[in-house]
Amino acid sequence: MSEPVLRTEGLTKRFGGLIAVDNLSISLASRRIHAIVGPNGAGKTTFFNLLSGLLRPDSGRVLFRGQDITGRRPHEISRLGIKRTLQVKSVFPQLSVAENLWITRQARSRFLHPFRSAASDLEAKSQVERTLDQIGLAGLAARPAGTLSYGDVAMLEIGMAVISEPSLLLLDEPTCGMSPAETNRAVAKIRDLAQTIDIVIIEHDMDVVFGIADDITVLAQGAILASGSPAEIADDERVREAYLGRPEDEDFVEEAAHA
Amino acid sequence: MTRRSIEIGVAVAFSAFLIAVPWLVPALTDTFWVSVITEILIWSLFAASANLLLGYVGLLSFGQALYFGFGMYGVALGIDNLGLSFWPAFGLGIISAMAMALVSGVFAVRLSWHYFAIITVVFSLIFYFLAVSMKPLTGGDDGVNFSLPPVFHFGRTVWSLTDPTFQYFFVLAVVSVCYFLMYRVIKSPLGKGFVAIRDNDLRASLIGLNVYVLRLIAFVMAGFLAGVSGALFAFFGRYASASYMFYQVSGEAVVWTIVGGAGTMFGPLVGTTLFIVIREIVSSHWEHHSLIVGLLAILAVIFAPKGIVGLWNGWMTRLDERDAAASAQLKLQAEP
Repeated sequence: MSEPVLRTEGLTKRFGGLIAVDNLSISLASRRIHAIVGPNGAGKTTFFNLLSGLLRPDSGRVLFRGQDITGRRPHEISRLGIKRTLQVKSVFPQLSVAENLWITRQARSRFLHPFRSAASDLEAKSQVERTLDQIGLAGLAARPAGTLSYGDVAMLEIGMAVISEPSLLLLDEPTCGMSPAETNRAVAKIRDLAQTIDIVIIEHDMDVVFGIADDITVLAQGAILASGSPAEIADDERVREAYLGRPEDEDFVEEAAHA
Repeated sequence: MTRRSIEIGVAVAFSAFLIAVPWLVPALTDTFWVSVITEILIWSLFAASANLLLGYVGLLSFGQALYFGFGMYGVALGIDNLGLSFWPAFGLGIISAMAMALVSGVFAVRLSWHYFAIITVVFSLIFYFLAVSMKPLTGGDDGVNFSLPPVFHFGRTVWSLTDPTFQYFFVLAVVSVCYFLMYRVIKSPLGKGFVAIRDNDLRASLIGLNVYVLRLIAFVMAGFLAGVSGALFAFFGRYASASYMFYQVSGEAVVWTIVGGAGTMFGPLVGTTLFIVIREIVSSHWEHHSLIVGLLAILAVIFAPKGIVGLWNGWMTRLDERDAAASAQLKLQAEP
């Protein structure tokens, strides 16, 4: 097996008395879509926050292609090529759709020119146009991102991830709030991206997870409950019990409604 | 009329007015108003400094008077104590304002919103009280006076700000250059980075923008604008005083910006013009003219949250939409 894209060693994060991520050691292989699932509060988003630098771990290490990135700041990690989307959709609401893509593209470089006209950068402009076509938002290019529908914002977030040409992409519930048609479009796009980019995805929609993931890790209470191929996870008794709940549980009905 | 033709018309009329001021205004009213307009131009640059932070980076500073004061004292002490001529004194004012902005910015821009607003007030209060207490150097609230060195000499011809017409054009030129620089920055990749941070700083850091450094750059740029306006105001008044470093002065820049339109190029100029004209007209008849300022600020926040320029932009956008609808209608009728 080649060197893992991302490896964590004994990663731990506490919030007061709550252990959100508990001594997590995980290794993600290259060129595979890795899904992280688990009930609410399992520590999935906290795990992403530790990887992307929004939180510092209390202990443990994060290694990206063998390089220790523990405790680095978000923009430094971003510039290494680790890009992420947020669970609550997050774009620049007063900038237009095209400007959102444009600034994301520009942010890859260290230096932002203070006097040259932003509109004169033809390379970035053509990148923006190509990405707009890819995510199907060309007709909305001039609209402020804050006025888009929820599904379009989610597509724009994927577009922002694409245009930054990441080498590792962390997607936090990318299809949450999308219509079935939009979900299909997003899933197709993610599959397409996976040809060239390593992807880790947090997702609640089990159809999406089992549709695209090569490997699945199940988290519960901040620790790994199970890890394996979709078929192995689907057959795992413990996963069913912890994540889907026992049939007699009242929770089962609720979880099933979410899935 | 289309949006473009209206905007070009306004720009041409406005530029023509600014160039004609030294002749037009005395003919219509009184020479006194030339100096009021000079003062408006200078203070609009100070409001632009608050606007760069509030409108484009999303930082509410109540401490811009500190950098205005450094611009003033740089000029006054440079001439009076160090015996500098015009341009070196001007440079000293601007550089000391930027240096002070860099030093306080290193601490201030780590914080956001109310914490940022508070620390900017604290910095400006510290230096206000220092300036008041260092009376032998700064003259305290009374200030220090100086005599103006000439701006240029060519042989025997001397240009000095003592000539009101030359002073007006000198201020107009400096202010125009500053507005032009600000326009370039706002339209540049750096400016887009500023706006991205204003809109969503968390997202900005995740796409790879160094939020801290960009905010610091903006803060020093705002220090530059405040410093230039302070230096110009020192030349204009031939003196510098600690009273201009008080936070109330900073607050005025914020109010002018909000009423004129934060996050717009000319909002600060419109707001500054409105309030200084009101002050000049009303204050001779009624001492409580600041009540009008308060009332207008409240009205603006409620009815025009994007300020007067925001209202104007709204009308222009509606005009655009009407034109687009009309041309679509026309196309529809033309088809058989």
